Amino acid sequence: MNIVRASSTSLFTVTTGSSEPIYRQLVGQVQRLVAGGQLAAGDELPSVREVAEQLAVNPMTVSKAYGLLEMGGVLERRRGLGMVVAESHDKRRPLAERLEILRPTLERAAEETAQLEIDPDVALQQFRKMLKGKT
Amino acid sequence: MMSSTIEMKNVSKRFHHKAVLSGLDWAVPAGHVVGLVGRNGAGKSTLLQCALGLWTADDGSVAILGEDPAALSDAVRAQIGYVPQESDLFEWLTATQMLAYFRTFYPRWNQAKVDALMERWSIPANTAIRLLSGGERQRLSIVRALAHDPSLLVLDEPVASLDPAGRRDFLREIVDRAIEGTTTVVFSTHIFTDLERVAMDIALLKNGRIALSGPLDQLSEKMRRVEGPSAVLAHARWGQELARSATRDAQTMLIVIVDEGSEERLETLARQGVRVHAVGLEDWFIAATQ
Repeated sequence: MNIVRASSTSLFTVTTGSSEPIYRQLVGQVQRLVAGGQLAAGDELPSVREVAEQLAVNPMTVSKAYGLLEMGGVLERRRGLGMVVAESHDKRRPLAERLEILRPTLERAAEETAQLEIDPDVALQQFRKMLKGKT
Repeated sequence: MMSSTIEMKNVSKRFHHKAVLSGLDWAVPAGHVVGLVGRNGAGKSTLLQCALGLWTADDGSVAILGEDPAALSDAVRAQIGYVPQESDLFEWLTATQMLAYFRTFYPRWNQAKVDALMERWSIPANTAIRLLSGGERQRLSIVRALAHDPSLLVLDEPVASLDPAGRRDFLREIVDRAIEGTTTVVFSTHIFTDLERVAMDIALLKNGRIALSGPLDQLSEKMRRVEGPSAVLAHARWGQELARSATRDAQTMLIVIVDEGSEERLETLARQGVRVHAVGLEDWFIAATQ
């Protein structure tokens, strides 16, 4: 029943029609990019205005996401620079930690696979194809 | 600024004995972007028109930018932009002629903005308006409403005849205003993906009242669909129950807004075969307005 529409910028993607609010989607994306080392300590994030305009979302939504990431110690507010990735995130997180972040998404996929009675091997084959297509 | 841009108290409006609004309370905070939703025929247009003074309420009080809508001063009138659902443009004029005409009514007129939007939205400037497509008229109507840099923008289903690209352009325009933080925007819509993108607050009109209103993020985070045996759910209560329906096999489905203590109770219920799901806005709307 959900309508899913995605639009992307260089950094962020938002999906509407999901039960996950847009600000939480943004928080999750920054957390993943930082954990994966694609965003490293000192990297500057696009301004609230830029993200809001590119994604056509309310600027309050973007600043809420940045605010939560700041409280969580992922981002730091730099005078004159805006938001940067915090100093403590100087390298990619260990594999175990990154897997833990991925876990809820995989759990959901596993649950849906079972509901649809799709053979695990078939589902895995599809997943492997997707992973290769994207990387 | 914490004051309300639109403030309606106990407002009722009847047409031929049919009550459209009955004892409605609604406050729109200054600087917010508010999405007004409700089923077809719920009275969204009537509500917006009462707020603007295009109808007089039978009962209750209405204030818009601090004034009585039936006796607006020129100064306040010049701060309001309105895009009606039905295009009320002058069919025989061209867009350029019509905009020049409206310009004479406003002390402030942002011609640079008008030119930029006409160009960006590809609106034929020198063709009679009656020859424009539905989408072009709607875009022109939006340009007219934005031209005098209103501090309150009221839009009645502004994107109904726009294609997805046109809607995205329109949303960007709203976003630009939200960035400046000086414009209050109220728009009615059926398109939830648009709401999700740009609305800070949502207001649901149902049975002549605002049945639910508040920050969109908070509401969507606390919204749950609860399903389980009717026997278990018969007496279950949460922060706010929006819908309840019995389905097949003595099952009950609820749409609820959970509060502080709810999570714990839901966990207890989960052990008795009750399932709890997060809900997307659109699913919530369908369930809550049935």
